[in-house]
Amino acid sequence: MSRPELTGHASLFYNAKEARKYNSSSRMVGVQREITERAIELLRLPEDRPSFVLDVGCGSGLSGQVLEEKGHAWVGCDVSRDMLNVANERIKENMLERSEAAASGGIDMDDDDDEDDDSKYDDSPTKPFTGDLMHHDMGTGLPFRPATFDACVSISALQWLCYSNAKGQIPKKRLTRFFSSLYQVLRRGARAVLQFYPETAEQAILISECAAKVGFAGGIVVDYPNSTKAKKHYLVLSFDRAYKAPSGLDAMDGALLSSASAQTGVRVEQARGKRGGPPRKGKGGTKTKEWIVHKKETQRKKGKAVKTDTKYTGRKRPARF
Amino acid sequence: MRLLTHNTLRNNSAAANGKGFPLRIKAAEIRVDENKDDDDDEMQIAFVKGVLGMLDWSILVQGASEMGLSTLPPALTDEMANDPTFMRALYHVLMNVHLVRGILVCPDTGREFPVTDGIANFMLEEDECEHVRM
Repeated sequence: MSRPELTGHASLFYNAKEARKYNSSSRMVGVQREITERAIELLRLPEDRPSFVLDVGCGSGLSGQVLEEKGHAWVGCDVSRDMLNVANERIKENMLERSEAAASGGIDMDDDDDEDDDSKYDDSPTKPFTGDLMHHDMGTGLPFRPATFDACVSISALQWLCYSNAKGQIPKKRLTRFFSSLYQVLRRGARAVLQFYPETAEQAILISECAAKVGFAGGIVVDYPNSTKAKKHYLVLSFDRAYKAPSGLDAMDGALLSSASAQTGVRVEQARGKRGGPPRKGKGGTKTKEWIVHKKETQRKKGKAVKTDTKYTGRKRPARF
Repeated sequence: MRLLTHNTLRNNSAAANGKGFPLRIKAAEIRVDENKDDDDDEMQIAFVKGVLGMLDWSILVQGASEMGLSTLPPALTDEMANDPTFMRALYHVLMNVHLVRGILVCPDTGREFPVTDGIANFMLEEDECEHVRM
């Protein structure tokens, strides 16, 4: 799958079959979860109370589920009715679990459905579902009263606005309409984080420009810029003109997304004084400790999972008999 | 679609001229969830206090009555806002009363937005949309 946006309208790509596949692929679920967690982190929501969040392009409700687990209430919009139906099914299952748990009065056994992958993430009794779903096209503007939402989140959806799929659809017009309505429906002091996949640099620029033109401050945070697979773009928008977007994650300090540090719980060490050039391939070649350490650095920069450097790294192994 | 969401919705087509709310509810099927005892009361109250500023009380009273709930007071006083029992009850009204099937009608244009299986349909045609200055 290269770019689904090139195949046609989002609701045609995310049909019933595709929607089911999307929601049941554990890799997809995992990736979308991580992205949502990162987006929520960038939102910097208040800790003392739940927020009312708008989820644009909520799809099958994967991001909404993460919002729920953190205790927030949300309203999700999506252009694909099939994806929304899948999200609805999860909500109904959730409600059934809760009423069964209440009836039995005990701990409900987690039913490990293919699509219900949240059981291993949620230790507490199933939280009440706090999301509402709307069948809606973000390019037509958001149908809410002004200053309604505490925050907005959007996962892997915004780039769909860059392609026209019907007569009279002009990407720039739809993007502007979306951003200007977003500006209206957010409360003052609110923030929006929209993760998207730009096909080209021009697209990323077009998106930023449309957002800036309606009055937003902010910028694009890029995580793992050196890895084609792990690279993620987050458009972070705020009303605060003094706002500066934080620098993106790099494999060296990405505590959340780097599985190496997640395993050990320790920050991956930086090789001081050895950055810039690879050690000369003189004597020893690729067997020397310097080379090995440098190679591991490069791999980390690419966002790959690499074991931490310890005193055993590149040690002389006992001779084979 | 719960009453909290209904409170925020408007018809954003060009014909509504910037208004398009409050949407009238023609309810065909309603569902009320129970407020469980183990749910976090403090967080619920904190949430309600947080959204109180953006809620339109008259829309809420009208919406609730169209959904069969006529027990809300016509105006919100400070006393009520500081009463935890009232806040908990308000949380229940906002979050647990769902329109499963029905129609939302724009008071300015009469445009209808159907709700099926709890999902509200707000798909607009391109020519219905507001004009954009680029």
